[in-house]
Amino acid sequence: MASNDLAARLMGDMAPQLLEFLKNKVNTFVKWDLVRFFHENPNTTDTAENIARYAGRDVATIEVEMDELVGAGVLSRQRIGDLTVYSLVEDPAMRTLVDQFILACDDRQFRVKAIYHIIRGMR
Amino acid sequence: MERVKIGIKGLDEMLNGGLLPETANLVEGAPGTGKSTLGMQFIYNGITEYNEPGLILTFEEFPQQYYHDAEAFGWNFRKLEKADKLRVIMTSPEVGKADLERVGGRIEALAHEIGARRILVDSLSHFERLTDDPAVLRSMLFSFVNSLKREGLTSILTRESRTFIGESESAEEDAAFIVDSYIMLRFVEIESAVRKALLVLKLRGSDHAKDIRQFEITPTGIEVRSKFEGREGIMSGSPRRMADSFIEAFVTPSKKRKNQT
Repeated sequence: MASNDLAARLMGDMAPQLLEFLKNKVNTFVKWDLVRFFHENPNTTDTAENIARYAGRDVATIEVEMDELVGAGVLSRQRIGDLTVYSLVEDPAMRTLVDQFILACDDRQFRVKAIYHIIRGMR
Repeated sequence: MERVKIGIKGLDEMLNGGLLPETANLVEGAPGTGKSTLGMQFIYNGITEYNEPGLILTFEEFPQQYYHDAEAFGWNFRKLEKADKLRVIMTSPEVGKADLERVGGRIEALAHEIGARRILVDSLSHFERLTDDPAVLRSMLFSFVNSLKREGLTSILTRESRTFIGESESAEEDAAFIVDSYIMLRFVEIESAVRKALLVLKLRGSDHAKDIRQFEITPTGIEVRSKFEGREGIMSGSPRRMADSFIEAFVTPSKKRKNQT
């Protein structure tokens, strides 16, 4: 009960669209890293293997998380020949949301709240 | 003939006015010689001086690196991206090549989005990790270069040479046959100081300067200076004064002969 109160207080002043983004889209640290990666490289199209290498992560983990981001409408996945590649979606609304999320992460208070939320979701 | 100016005065002169439109142009040199700088300057000048938007296709180098490096020369790449004049695309050679070879690929879409006329590909050397077979590599590069031309882009393609000073030890010349022009950048050691030399080795369908010029990377970009006077063997990395060569060729042998008699 106390934990739920704390969560409610921590999330209470977070912009609703960012709270929703955090709850339903960037709900793991790997996804957070991926969203940051694609924010910094918005024109990147590459395979899971290469993105794992750039992000310094394990390919099996990255692939699962990227597929979930595809399902959440953050990334797009397509086949080019025999390659499966991922990109940030072209949808301007989603790109704006990604920008807003990364910008909000510049604020330590926001980061603390976001980290708390992700850890809570992992339990 | 219409020319695509790089915007580096001495270099455009060496190229008889600039690069030919919709051609592929190789810039080869050791790390630190200024290949990427020359390419970035080509893109920046294209946008700001000639109203020709551009793409930077980077293999495994993060766009932030380009923004940062460009800023050191006073070139604001972020601003140009926001103004839809530039796109920096990071991908891998296999994906970049496959993307360009299909209709309606992402690179094509980005090129159309901003009306790109120029592209920097940095660097072709990354294709070498895709195959050990020189024939396969050559065909891969050929189809890649053709797809850039198909998009109507004038390209600068960089390639790393494996030796820092002197001539390249391996025969990496396959790409040189595929491209329309070939510019070599070299470190040169003269009197215990390292300088930089530039040579236009080839410009298909046009005359070009054959001399080897000095160049420097200044706070505003590359500046091509005068040619190396009174020296030879520049591209070997350790040039000699022509007078020394004369002495060696004509004076020393006669001295030797005297000593022998």
